[in-house]
Amino acid sequence: MSEPLLSVEGLAVHFASRGRLFGPSAPPVKAVNDVSFTIEEGRTFGLVGESGSGKSTVARAILQLVDVHAGTIRLEGEDVTKVERKDELEFRKRVQAVLQDPFSSLNQVHQTRTIVGDGITRHYGTKGAERDEMVRKLLESVGLTADYLDRYPYEMSGGQRQRVSIARALGVGPKLIIADEATSALDVSIQSQVINVLQDIQRDDGVAFLFIAHDLEVVSHLSHDVGVMYLGYLVEQGSSTAVYESPAHPYTEMLISSIPVPNPIEQATRRELRKTFINAEPPSPANLPSGCPFENRCPVAMDICREEMPAPTPAHGGGSVRCHLHTSGPELGGESVVEFIKTSASGAIGV
Amino acid sequence: MSEVTTETETSPKPDSPRRRFWKRMFRNPLALFSLVWFAILVVSWVWPELLATHDPFKQDVTLQRLFEGPSGDHWLGTDGLGRDHYSRVIFGAGFAFRSIIIAMSIAVGIGVPVGLFSGWRGGRIDRAIMWVNDVLFSLPIILLAMAVIIILTPSLTNAMIGVGIAMATRFVRLTRGVTLAEKEELYVDAARITGISVPRTLARYIAPNLLSSLIVQAAIISGAVILIGATLSFLGIGASLDDPDWGVMLNRARPDFRREGVWQIVPSGGALVLTVLAFNLLGDSIRDAIGRDASSNALTISKRVDIEPTDRPHRDGALLSVRTIDVEFPTPQGDPVQILNGVSFAVMPGETLGIVGESGSGKSMTMLSALGLTPAPGRLTRGSVQFDGRDVTSISEREWQKIRGKDIGFIFQEPIAVLNPALKVGRQLMEPLLLHTDMNKSQARERAIELLAEVKVPDPGRRIDQYPHEFSGGMAQRVGIAMSLACNPKLLIADEPTTALDVTVQGQILDLLMEIQETHDTSIIVITHDLGVIAEVADRVIVMYGGQGVEGGSVEDIFLRPRHPYTRALLETMPQNHESGDDRLKVIGGVVPAPTDWPVGCRFAPRCAAATEICHTDLPSLEVIGAGVTVRCHHWEDLQSSLVDSWDEVER
Repeated sequence: MSEPLLSVEGLAVHFASRGRLFGPSAPPVKAVNDVSFTIEEGRTFGLVGESGSGKSTVARAILQLVDVHAGTIRLEGEDVTKVERKDELEFRKRVQAVLQDPFSSLNQVHQTRTIVGDGITRHYGTKGAERDEMVRKLLESVGLTADYLDRYPYEMSGGQRQRVSIARALGVGPKLIIADEATSALDVSIQSQVINVLQDIQRDDGVAFLFIAHDLEVVSHLSHDVGVMYLGYLVEQGSSTAVYESPAHPYTEMLISSIPVPNPIEQATRRELRKTFINAEPPSPANLPSGCPFENRCPVAMDICREEMPAPTPAHGGGSVRCHLHTSGPELGGESVVEFIKTSASGAIGV
Repeated sequence: MSEVTTETETSPKPDSPRRRFWKRMFRNPLALFSLVWFAILVVSWVWPELLATHDPFKQDVTLQRLFEGPSGDHWLGTDGLGRDHYSRVIFGAGFAFRSIIIAMSIAVGIGVPVGLFSGWRGGRIDRAIMWVNDVLFSLPIILLAMAVIIILTPSLTNAMIGVGIAMATRFVRLTRGVTLAEKEELYVDAARITGISVPRTLARYIAPNLLSSLIVQAAIISGAVILIGATLSFLGIGASLDDPDWGVMLNRARPDFRREGVWQIVPSGGALVLTVLAFNLLGDSIRDAIGRDASSNALTISKRVDIEPTDRPHRDGALLSVRTIDVEFPTPQGDPVQILNGVSFAVMPGETLGIVGESGSGKSMTMLSALGLTPAPGRLTRGSVQFDGRDVTSISEREWQKIRGKDIGFIFQEPIAVLNPALKVGRQLMEPLLLHTDMNKSQARERAIELLAEVKVPDPGRRIDQYPHEFSGGMAQRVGIAMSLACNPKLLIADEPTTALDVTVQGQILDLLMEIQETHDTSIIVITHDLGVIAEVADRVIVMYGGQGVEGGSVEDIFLRPRHPYTRALLETMPQNHESGDDRLKVIGGVVPAPTDWPVGCRFAPRCAAATEICHTDLPSLEVIGAGVTVRCHHWEDLQSSLVDSWDEVER
């Protein structure tokens, strides 16, 4: 079996709380716990979750921007959990990123020529007219004309800046691009333009994506495989259609039913399903319960959910899920949880 | 690369910041004064012979030539050795500049790299550096300069080395502060990810962002350096006693001052004062000129006068009816730009109206202008507004305040930003009650707890005494909604009420809004970019594009029978409506145009797939095509059949 492009195993990232002046120091914030997934060459893995779910921290750990507490990250079989300084350039050449905010992720003092070209010079030593020509081609591949070569970020719209960010990542010639909420700040009509650019790039250059967003609709459209994060845990993963169409974790179902669809008739049905979920605050990542972190919002929680954190078990379609419902209680065995919630929670709504 | 949408239209480049900077500088009289003064000083420094009328060292000890007042020959008189004051002041500029150059190159040359290093490294090294820096910072500058003079030999150069070291501490502080802040910016992460080395990141990415504050600081500190140099020379430990240095000249004038009158200190003292002043003014005006375009009157409300009436009738029985409003903003180029054009809508009692549009469509401006809140210098120039059966188009701000305070509640995008972090939530809820009703304190508290319970904040009796930071985003928005409900408003305005919230929380907040509407029969206007939110809560919808309403109708009209190509395209671009099997999303090419670049014809025409010649030349009018159904498109009738076909499937 060939090595996957990226494999993450048992990744944990903890942030130490600031020491207090008096008294014991606060417990660390467990931003990411025991997260494992793989990305094959030329494929897209989507990571979805709400704020505080740890999805961006996973990206930052892979990008060497935060320290890993436990677990390993492998790139083409090679351990890159903590890249040595001498190997960093070689690592950066293979893994690039497009970051969320198109305003602060581009330096205001540089023109597109420099923003995109700097990486090319750094990695390939190309300079001057030759480099400009490369930048021009990159801009073309993200749908920008040569006019944009000498524009500053403040002379471009959000969508155009995000295209420049993509060109910058692409210029280095990476095998993996991590897109962290790359389309979230854009208007609807612009968002679809950028999503299409990402898909074109994958088709033409065979680059793999780790696509991170809070919008499950966008993630599942763009990704081959999807992982759903909740409070630092990867609670469900599998093929994009399996996860989206027949979710095996109640939280995934909650996410799906929460997304308002632009259709008033469909939306009315979703609203009913949404109302089965419990209106409670999620626990703090600094103080996770010993059981399942979703237990207090779950309409079908059992006693065991309060006591034990469920381990990942296989789910239909080759995925995996962390939920007791599949091994105890109704023993769903990795199948969709939707019908079970509908039938068992309908009694609970009246209570 | 077959179908990548290309940004073909090249919008005109805005003024480059450099141009804008110089424009602003030349418009500011104080900046002009300092620039002219520096021009004179620079000429005096580089080529003093050009301006000087006499040899500054040439003594004329003829008795009547000493202590002379201004005359045709000696414009600023002479000193105790009969030397020409004017020429000595001119030559003094060279000394001043030499002081600045020595001191500033040391200050900036040491201060900036140390600050960059310290801010970038952070942690213990940073703390150690800053500790040493703070100690040096607290020593008087003159003391440091004297210490250097004592170690080396007394001379202006050595004194300025001391001053430079002292001033370096100012630049360490400034640079470190900026570096600490910039280091957190995403573009620094992006540089690291690209593989850019640390020294290059500091030099090419962070340092340029430091430049503006550095220039401002350098101008002001240069003024201080001149003053310190003059002080040292005055004390006799700076420039040598024969040099035409301004400080030395003051020193020489001192013993003669009582005997010969005030005039002796005027030429050198004047030059000193003007130069220091010019440096400070220069620093201030640079700071103003590079400042962002924050208009100082952004929060003032424009006057409502000279509003052209409209003949479009108001909707019967509407709570709020807005007819064909235009809003204009003046531009620096002269011609005002119209940012709203002919916007109309109405809300019936107990109804939810959704106003949907992308950024820049004018949806928030529409709401502000309808409620008498057009921000100055914008102005409502046409239209008519009726609230609760009363014409409120041109009522006074005071009258509007009464209506807004009691009958209209506002819910904002960032609940945390609306709540005062220093006050308990309960107090903030009680405030409108105490202001607009005749409740006493305990009644108001009682009602505040009721309100919190109504918006489903658990344990309201306890949470009322908590501060805003103890509430999560969703809970804070509930408090925001409770505040808007305090006076039982007839109309609730929710501007992007769930945009800042997580999607699972968003659903709960929308449910809450709909419940409130049912129990109180409140009218609600929801302004959002999210079509999904509109589909969920709205009864009727206005779609806005380019400062105009392009389509209006019931929620079913808009989502199941969209008539305007923009509405249709917007729905088709969403991944939710994406037909499986096709890999690519439908796109609307191009960008939302800015108000200054609105096309002559239909504003959507450049991005519209169905546009014909007429669309590029004639602006379509808003047609009323049914009860409360409107559309602004030349071709809506031709397009309709195809639209209904494609949307039938969705309806099924």
